Amino acid sequence: MAEQNISPEQMRALQEKIKQMSPEELKEFQKKQCIFCQIISGKVQSRKVYEDDKVVALLDINPANPGHVLLLTKEHYSIMPQIPDDEIAHVFMVAKSLSNSMLRSIDAQGTNIIVANGIAAGQRAQHFIAHVIPRKDNDGINFVLPQKTIEHEEIEAIGNKLIAALAGGEKEEENPQLKIPEAKKKEDTKGSQGEIDLDDISKLLGVK
Amino acid sequence: MATRESCIICQIVENKIPSKKVYEDELVMAVLDVNGSNPGHCFVMPKNHYPIIEQVPDIEIGRLFNVSNKISSAIFESLGVHGTNIFVANGIPAGQTVAHFTINVIPRKENDGIDLQWQPKQLSEEEMSTVELKLKEQTKNIGHFEKEEKKPAKIHAANPIVLSEDEEEYFTKQMRRLP
Repeated sequence: MAEQNISPEQMRALQEKIKQMSPEELKEFQKKQCIFCQIISGKVQSRKVYEDDKVVALLDINPANPGHVLLLTKEHYSIMPQIPDDEIAHVFMVAKSLSNSMLRSIDAQGTNIIVANGIAAGQRAQHFIAHVIPRKDNDGINFVLPQKTIEHEEIEAIGNKLIAALAGGEKEEENPQLKIPEAKKKEDTKGSQGEIDLDDISKLLGVK
Repeated sequence: MATRESCIICQIVENKIPSKKVYEDELVMAVLDVNGSNPGHCFVMPKNHYPIIEQVPDIEIGRLFNVSNKISSAIFESLGVHGTNIFVANGIPAGQTVAHFTINVIPRKENDGIDLQWQPKQLSEEEMSTVELKLKEQTKNIGHFEKEEKKPAKIHAANPIVLSEDEEEYFTKQMRRLP
């Protein structure tokens, strides 16, 4: 839907604009586009069940089960690899506590914790989310993790690649394969044919 | 180290069952799964035996998920995949099959046969409010996390299983018996 409204010149202008943004400006811009940042700041209403200085937990409005919680970093990160170690630790300590709370308060018999990095993994939002989902027997949720048989040689080869990549240290390589979801388009783009809609920049940010 | 004879993961940790390790430190081990959902599917687990996440001390939680995050990045870097999932199943109704807490780090590509989606359930405003209140009643107790920088609290160093017997019984009952 965005493509037909943007001419190639505008697209280039947008790309140029993004290129010239400082990392701070870019982050600020991403933040403005992000519905979850608006929820965190309270501009958009939500049902928060936990909040501290680093994270917010709120009830998913489209829950897999009643009590399904979205655990968000207050800082805007599109994907998990961008998050510093101390925040990762904190997010999942809170996830553990939320899981614990679900067992005690809403008769959950189990919980799932799920993170999706990239569209192929099921990521829908531009903001890092850890899902904590209360589970019961026969609750209609069916996560499918097929068991494939992987040859011993392949395991060995993959293992060595991973070991090498882990030893490679902290470098943050851009991954061209990783596609991050675009921000949702606003509906009111009609009146601004000639103008560059800032929302369209997010299209480009998706692969940036 | 608190391991259990009958636990297959503990056997892997103690090298009684061979595995392809990709990471190991004093608390955490990560191995490749021969029956993975995709090539590169890794199991990240605490070396100590804890059946469910509630029993894993905060410091180990922090370490486990940081290692998972690093492995996820390593998968992106070296396996040319399009995404990764971090997946935890806690309790049999959630799909847990082994009674040793494990984090799955799963490389993803489009149409790879893995499905971690769900059909949203429709809840009334009233139902949402009820759930919100019940959860808040418990989550107000969340806080005071153990941090890795600090010295580990005595209770964790001496006895890695932090739940009292009563509590453990409560959880086991609540979550049904694990295999």
